[in-house]
Amino acid sequence: MTRSPEEIALDLPFLINGTLSEADKAEIESLMAEDALLAAEHDALAAIRSEMQAEEIRSPGAFGLARLMRDVGRESEATVPTRAPSRSWMWQAVAAVAVVGLLAQTFYQRDTGESETRYALASADMPGALVVSFAPDATEETIRMLLVGQDLEIVAGPSALGLYRLDVVDGGDLTAAAAALRRAPQIVESVENVEP
Amino acid sequence: MTENHHFLVQQVGKGDKEALAALYRAYERPVYKFIVSRLNDPHEASDILHEVFMDIWRVAASFEGRSQVRTWIFGIAYRKVIDVHRKRARVTVTDEVPETGDVAEAADAGYAARQEAEHLRVCMGTLKDEHRSAISLAFYEDMTCAEIAEIAGVPEGTIKSRLHHAKKLLLHCLSGRIKGRAVA
Repeated sequence: MTRSPEEIALDLPFLINGTLSEADKAEIESLMAEDALLAAEHDALAAIRSEMQAEEIRSPGAFGLARLMRDVGRESEATVPTRAPSRSWMWQAVAAVAVVGLLAQTFYQRDTGESETRYALASADMPGALVVSFAPDATEETIRMLLVGQDLEIVAGPSALGLYRLDVVDGGDLTAAAAALRRAPQIVESVENVEP
Repeated sequence: MTENHHFLVQQVGKGDKEALAALYRAYERPVYKFIVSRLNDPHEASDILHEVFMDIWRVAASFEGRSQVRTWIFGIAYRKVIDVHRKRARVTVTDEVPETGDVAEAADAGYAARQEAEHLRVCMGTLKDEHRSAISLAFYEDMTCAEIAEIAGVPEGTIKSRLHHAKKLLLHCLSGRIKGRAVA
């Protein structure tokens, strides 16, 4: 389809910024060779573009990033308690029951007395240093590997909202464990430190 | 690069703050430049930039990858600034090309001169936001017509028309300022 000179001239800004196709570029360059005004506009707009690209700005930079990270953190903390229960929380409950069973069994085999004490406390006083919810797609195996790898155990839950309370076993590093959970959003949907 | 940024958005959607920080580092300067060119207020532009990235954090999970990450982010910024203008109920300075003034004369008047930054800033400030946006995306970011149209949510023909009007208004304004300086 043949375009009118007026239509072709509308491509001038895109000739200047180098985004025209070869065919469109040839078309407007041919037109410019015959149209002194269009050629003059080209030079003027090219100078304007150069001026704009050379313009130095002082953007928020690191301060803006720090502000962003601060507010994102606040927003994350604020949204966790109000998160709606996942539709698949029943599945998570089933998976967590399996984890609890496995861990309880492990403790039972290692030290029967200690595991019984811990389990009794979990159901009675809701202890735990972390409150988490698991991703709907997380499997029992991935949850188990993550928790065991971080010296974590489930000490209570699931709640009606599908939340679990975790604690580190003796000698575990709670801060490192919490950070590891937060780095695994495909397994753990939310992590919240319990207020002392 | 594009695939890398697409991956970053996916990670942000999963709650990865490091990925958000990486996106911020990649786009902070061009997006800020785009915003400040439309608002002409560095402090307000900083706030809008912050809101843009907060929105990215909130909605990244819904990004389907049908558009480029760059056009998606600039689209968010584009709409944010429109909201600011609506709140301000700002009166548009001008939308008509004055009868006086001569584009050819303006073009011949030597706009290639390096010292015209201030004139350019002032004249950009006289444009309607939709004209300024089109110029900014075309000349700061060297975007294609299709990309600008996607960001603004209008047909490509509309973008070409906006750029045509913006060009005439800019050249007219600059011509007037150059003549004023010559008389002075």
